[in-house]
Amino acid sequence: MKRLLVTLATVLVGIGIVAGVGVFSWLNEREPAAIVAKVDGTLKTPQGELPHAKLDLSIYPNPSDKIAGPRTTSAFQEDLLNDQPFFWPSSSIQVPANSAVTITFYQYGGPMGQIYNDYFAEVHGTIDGTMKWNGKSVSRMKATEVTHTFTVHQYTESNQPTFFLNVPLPINGAKAKMDKAGYAVEPQKVEVTFITGDPGTYVWNCQFPCGDMYQEFGGAMQTRGWMGGTFEVV
Amino acid sequence: MSSTATVFGTEVPQPVQHGKPGGIMRRLNLVTALIGGIGLALVLGFIASRLVPSGASTSTFAPVAPDIVYLAVLVGWVVGFSVGIGAFVGPIRWLFARDLTHDDAEYLAGRGQGWHRYFKFTTDHKVVGIQYLVMTMVILGFGGLLAMLIRTELGITWAEAFSPTFYNSIIGTHGIAMIIAMILAVTGPIGNFIVPMMIGSRDMAFPRLNALSFWLLVVATIPLISTLFVGGIQDGWSVYQPLASQGTPAMLGYQMTIIVFAISTGLSSVNFLVTIVTMRAKGMTWSRTPILVYGVFAAALMGLYAFPFFQYSQILSLTDRIFDTSFFDPLQGGSVWLYQNLFWLLGHPEVYVILIPALVLLMEAMVVFLRKPLFSYKFAIAGVVGVMALSGLVWAHHMYMSGWAPAANYPFMLSTELISIPVGFLVMVLIGTLWRGRVWTRLPMMAVYAVVFNLMIGGVTGIYLSDVPADQYFHGSMFVVAHFHYMLMGAGLFGAMGGLAFYFPKLTGRLLDERTASIGFWMAFVGFQVTFLSMFVAGLQSMPRRVLQFDSQFNVSNWVSTIGAYVIGIGMLIFAGALIASWILGKPAPANPFGSKSLEWQTPTPVPLENFAVLPVVTQAPYGYGVPDPYDAELMKKDGDRVSPGAGTQ
Amino acid sequence: MSISEQQAPNAGDEPEAPTNRPPSMERVRSWLSRPYAKGIVGLTIVLGLLLLPVSWLVLVPMNQTGAPASEIMKDIEQTIFVFTLVSTPIVAFVLAVLLYSLFKWRRHKGDEIPAEDSPAIRTNTVGVMLWTAVTSVLAFFLVVWGLIELAQITSNAYGTISADEQPSDEKALIVNVTGQQWTWTFAYPQYDNVVTEVLYLPVDRPVYFNVTSKDVIHNFWAVELGVKIDANPGAVTQTGVTPNKVGDFNLRCAELCGMHHAYMQTEIQVVEKKDFHSMMREMGGGATT
Repeated sequence: MKRLLVTLATVLVGIGIVAGVGVFSWLNEREPAAIVAKVDGTLKTPQGELPHAKLDLSIYPNPSDKIAGPRTTSAFQEDLLNDQPFFWPSSSIQVPANSAVTITFYQYGGPMGQIYNDYFAEVHGTIDGTMKWNGKSVSRMKATEVTHTFTVHQYTESNQPTFFLNVPLPINGAKAKMDKAGYAVEPQKVEVTFITGDPGTYVWNCQFPCGDMYQEFGGAMQTRGWMGGTFEVV
Repeated sequence: MSSTATVFGTEVPQPVQHGKPGGIMRRLNLVTALIGGIGLALVLGFIASRLVPSGASTSTFAPVAPDIVYLAVLVGWVVGFSVGIGAFVGPIRWLFARDLTHDDAEYLAGRGQGWHRYFKFTTDHKVVGIQYLVMTMVILGFGGLLAMLIRTELGITWAEAFSPTFYNSIIGTHGIAMIIAMILAVTGPIGNFIVPMMIGSRDMAFPRLNALSFWLLVVATIPLISTLFVGGIQDGWSVYQPLASQGTPAMLGYQMTIIVFAISTGLSSVNFLVTIVTMRAKGMTWSRTPILVYGVFAAALMGLYAFPFFQYSQILSLTDRIFDTSFFDPLQGGSVWLYQNLFWLLGHPEVYVILIPALVLLMEAMVVFLRKPLFSYKFAIAGVVGVMALSGLVWAHHMYMSGWAPAANYPFMLSTELISIPVGFLVMVLIGTLWRGRVWTRLPMMAVYAVVFNLMIGGVTGIYLSDVPADQYFHGSMFVVAHFHYMLMGAGLFGAMGGLAFYFPKLTGRLLDERTASIGFWMAFVGFQVTFLSMFVAGLQSMPRRVLQFDSQFNVSNWVSTIGAYVIGIGMLIFAGALIASWILGKPAPANPFGSKSLEWQTPTPVPLENFAVLPVVTQAPYGYGVPDPYDAELMKKDGDRVSPGAGTQ
Repeated sequence: MSISEQQAPNAGDEPEAPTNRPPSMERVRSWLSRPYAKGIVGLTIVLGLLLLPVSWLVLVPMNQTGAPASEIMKDIEQTIFVFTLVSTPIVAFVLAVLLYSLFKWRRHKGDEIPAEDSPAIRTNTVGVMLWTAVTSVLAFFLVVWGLIELAQITSNAYGTISADEQPSDEKALIVNVTGQQWTWTFAYPQYDNVVTEVLYLPVDRPVYFNVTSKDVIHNFWAVELGVKIDANPGAVTQTGVTPNKVGDFNLRCAELCGMHHAYMQTEIQVVEKKDFHSMMREMGGGATT
């Protein structure tokens, strides 16, 4: 009888530990709360008149007193990422399905080098293959003019529509005025409009080597909440 | 102090006794080791954080401080713990030319210390065996916890429970933790506790190295657990370069774990090899040596030649990271294939280090519960030796798809298919021993059925993977994961569990509650089939491995696998619970509850410090069980005036 | 079964017979007359027949999304089918022994050491030789099959030719595949270097892939085409295939490459040849070869 109780105790303790660690890890590792694109009227597109949703995203080159940056899971991680860029206010993006969506990017960082693959210096997936850069319509950028990209992935699942979006984000040149936090006083503004299909879940990440370690794809580039996140079409 | 000691009735002159027996070792134990380890870790970490200029970064913009501080902490832990447990006391004693007296040696072996000796640097192989058993269960528990998290994430197909980076960390940590646990699962407890008794000796050849190799294992485990708190090893258990060079500082923890663990297993291997070769009892020729000894010997030899490659690959990864060398950085002239070769030169023999001891352990158990000799003992040896010989020639079958040397795929396919023949010999021995045996349905015996069943499935699926064109589909898919779980867990772990159930009375002095343990065992077995057969289906459907989100076509196979995994978890917990309950509260065991004729069972329980009062002399072949085959008598009658019976001579 | 051979003491009276051994068929028959022999042989046959459908069943999950779409994939499926078939007898035999032992030879339960031992069979020369022969023959069959098939697949692809030697087959299509964290891009050097993120292929035309990576190791896995090769940084690996089915197929990354490894997937669209040409033209690349 006593043996049975010890056995039962072992099982319950085991289940408890697994459940505890699981819940703790889930709470600790959760994605940031999503920002939702707000629907604001309609837009005429080649696919007809669609509801028009809008969203703003900023890219900062490092956390500072002005903008604290995304939540980190430990002081150690904070140390590792304290000079890394991030998207703000959240990396979890939600846009409505079967709509025209306009995202406006404000890029606050300076020059960083060169993109590895010119394909991602071109605009892909928008309504007419172009983006509005500080008011001007362009369809590609020079490899040295890019500092980040916003790339929504090819696809993860076969039963949701294929979706691919690539927006190269330009640098603030070496002569641009920076404030105390290291952010450009006048950020670069990029506006893209694309059409979403049926609901689906996608991910996005930056395709520019703006992290650290080997090929500068470590650090923030491999941290959700910083330079990569989820993109949901709901 | 007396200058002679009575050893087995003879007066033996002793060197001068300095102080109490054991000297400083009287004060050193796990607590002092932890104080030393944590203390020196903090000190070195503090010094490192002061020495590194703030804001320093590497050529790839990574901050230098976290790496150097973490490395300093790890080095402090390794050195401090070793000092605190007394690992250096022996060499320092040699420096001062102080010999051990008989009383010193007995103190080191744990004489008169009760339960304290399990928490000290104790040289008695039986103590080391129990220490390994507990440590293995702890590491298995840690790996099992991670497995439950992994399967939970894979079962939640409609969302991401954990972020991809955390998921990548837990699969890698689960992998290396389980590999370490399985390498030790049989050779640790059974190899240390039983093998010296089985060959009729009093201890291993190098008892102090034995204690050292255990405590180095403890040292190595902590950095591995710490990796989860410093970012996690997000690169699978094989930590391929160059992805490892993008990793968090946790990579240093992994590298330190492997570097220390390789030293531990290297020492352990040398110990086993020398013990088995030189310390067998009088009369125990190689043709009278039990098959478990052969298996442990083969595992030790494979571990000895293969582990340095793994250690070396991690040392080079460490220098790539800290000193900016470029062994594995192709952009600076290094080679990614160099890493893969170094890694798999260990990676393959290692799976046989896991498998062979489990199989030979079951062979030892079977003969006792069937009361018949091992079938074709010579072919069992041939199987073990054949696997050991070929194990070093097949490693690049893990690299078929790497593009390293496409022409090399041909010879490696040949050697890999050929290794199925010696493995087949081992299956033949298992089946042949079962043949016409009257089964005593105890748990160690029933484990044989589970293991042979799993071995067949694992073996056949291994044949698919050994074929290069078929591997072109299966490499990097869940099919591979299911295959190696069938071999390492299905045959390895379940075999170790059955073997542990067999030697439980000798190891713990208590009888195992086999009814509860069997419930746990078979529950885990059924769950195992559900989990991994479904995983084969997922692999056939083309689900890649190391992914947390996947196409919805894989949903059903993953739900089924997750449910199976929870069943395994409960089953394993029940088995562990039965072990613990029997250990604490079980009925005291007689010396030889199963009527074994092997030497280790001829000792009293609990086993005295010197194992045998008088060292035994072996005069017969092993496995002296069985009655003459009745069919032979029949055949004799039929053949009329035939002279000699043919009941199976060798 | 090891019956020693002996001369009968009065051999000189009889016509010359070298031994008293009964003819082999009679030995086999007398062995088969034992109840356990009949049982195990029968059980092996039954289990073998029951396991036979597995050889067909394993192909079902593989074909769920449209495979096979090339000769290579057909070869792979045939290999898996044959290997399963060939393994069935041994698996059936081993399972038969396990089952028979569980149900017919199980004898003793409980805590007492059994009083009676089992027959002391230390070896059985015929059995051991039979097992060794059968397993060795099977192993060699598998090896030979595999080696021949690998040679065939390699001659369809061009896995052993260096990147400098382009194929002379003018009809072949060349695609330069670049894997990087965490997307695939495909360049068509013969079509003015058009770059896409979806792999477009014409049906029934051999295509050679030059695969490389810009950062870490990835793995180019064209699932239904049966093609897989690592994408290594600093090196170019090659593979090739001829798609023979029109449709949408999967391309997955099969080597852990970081945070978004699970999402590094894209489509392969195999289209009719004229559709392919018009697609390429639309994207700005007239055929240059």
